[in-house]
Amino acid sequence: MANCRPQSATPNNMKIRYHKVPGVFLLDKQLATKGEALYGERTFDGYRLWNPRRSKLAALLTKQAQVPLAPEQIVLYLGAASGTTVSHLANIVSLVYAVEFAPRVARDLVRLSERVTNIVPLISDAAHPDYGPVVELVDLLYQDIAQPRQAEIAVKNAELFLKPRGYACIIIKARSIDVTEKPRTVYKREVKKLEELFDIEYVHELEPFYKAHAAVIARLA
Amino acid sequence: MAHIKTWFGDIELHNDEIARSQVLKADIDAMAQRLQQEDFADFDKECRGRLREIAIKLQVVSSEREYVSLLRAVMIQSAKQRIVAAFAQPDARIIQLIDGIDDIDESINLLSERLSEWCLLTSETSMPEDLLEAFASSPSAQSPLAQEFAGSISRLCELRQQLANAIELEMRTTAPNLSTLAGELLGARLIARAGGLEPLARMPASRIQVIGASKALFRHLKYGTKPPKHGVIFQHPLVRGSHPNNRGKIARTLAAKIAIAARLDFYSKKVYPELLSQVEKRFGELQTAERNPEQHEDKIP
Ligand SMILES: C[S@@+](CC[C@H](N)C(=O)[O-])C[C@H]1O[C@@H](n2cnc3c(N)ncnc32)[C@H](O)[C@@H]1O
Repeated sequence: MANCRPQSATPNNMKIRYHKVPGVFLLDKQLATKGEALYGERTFDGYRLWNPRRSKLAALLTKQAQVPLAPEQIVLYLGAASGTTVSHLANIVSLVYAVEFAPRVARDLVRLSERVTNIVPLISDAAHPDYGPVVELVDLLYQDIAQPRQAEIAVKNAELFLKPRGYACIIIKARSIDVTEKPRTVYKREVKKLEELFDIEYVHELEPFYKAHAAVIARLA
Repeated sequence: MAHIKTWFGDIELHNDEIARSQVLKADIDAMAQRLQQEDFADFDKECRGRLREIAIKLQVVSSEREYVSLLRAVMIQSAKQRIVAAFAQPDARIIQLIDGIDDIDESINLLSERLSEWCLLTSETSMPEDLLEAFASSPSAQSPLAQEFAGSISRLCELRQQLANAIELEMRTTAPNLSTLAGELLGARLIARAGGLEPLARMPASRIQVIGASKALFRHLKYGTKPPKHGVIFQHPLVRGSHPNNRGKIARTLAAKIAIAARLDFYSKKVYPELLSQVEKRFGELQTAERNPEQHEDKIP
């Protein structure tokens, strides 16, 4: 029996543990979610490995940062790109509204949505949300758009779509906001802009997985 | 009373009760079509929180599960329509073509390097530039595998020419002023780097001048090294043909005119042939001043 084991099976000595976020697992030390492979990632016994160098959310979870994720959540995700992170997030929460405006990567996102039943693709500019008739109230606003005006865009979307006391997870890439400033100065300035609407809970830096990136975890005031 | 526009129809609410509604039932095409066309106003958060409930009450769907599956089907359809529309924009086609040329150039370089190393090993011919010509004139003199290689390279060169021709055509209709001023290929490259004609039209000349020099610009901002004088516009014959002392000046003039050309092309497409002659005139002045250093041009405003 032992040698008929499929290639992707969990090696006998691999330990599977629960991460503190429900729906997230640790295979030895590697992060994983449950589901079929969607973009060529490795799988073991139905667990999809989730590389912290390819996904900022995975970097946060690998660092055991506080991320407000729960199984019943509805998420509005701004800057989905081809959907690498979205595909794992969909294994964790109940529904993801995924916004992306660049047509090339959006094509992959649409292909992904055709395979995964809880992703709704929205081809729109998050700075001018025209998805008002579509998106319901959401529990979490996730933003990874790497834009100078990103704080403003997060505030606007939270005002429209985030539940009272809902959460936001906002990725800041210091370089795309100001290449001349020290990253921490940039984070401080962005946090200040977010305080207009949110209570800030944590600021996590994504080192060593991403240089000069931070994630702000906030809650609608 | 609240009037709300949703993806499944128009609804009027009176004291939280549905007073009137006009809904599209499970017609995915019609729903997606409507999202393409209409401009929607926002509505208050309370109604937004009740979208599923309202859709079920109006019998658009019979359960929350069905709500999600119908919404997803409609939005996939709508997303596909938007993507097709985006790729049908002429500047999107130009960007595709330029990317194609860059890919081909990279392949040609790799294959040529491989071929020349190969020939160094197997024959006495040593100048890589001559190799292709040698192949063209007496292909049978070379080994069959090397012939295949050379054949692939020359087919890629043909394909490159086809792409360049297509770019010329697209550029002439999409960006006539930019084409005249910068040349079709360089103009197309500027559009591609800017991400489209519209973003290029919105760019200040100072940014246009350094498009394609982002590494040097970053070093300048961060470490205070010399600012880059020119990015891809260095490929323009008037910049390349200038005396090194004048290149920054001519690049600045050219970038300023390119900014105007891009705006003209984006907003009106009206053709102004004098843009190029203005840059040529400046070029002439600078070259003359360089030759007669005593009457230095900087004194002329
Ligand atoms: C850093 S990538 C996101 C990567 C993705 N979150 C992941 O982890 O798989 C940023 C994306 O945001 C998109 N983007 C930037 N500005 C946007 C906007 N205003 N509206 C929608 N998408 C935007 C870009 O096209 C790009 O694909």
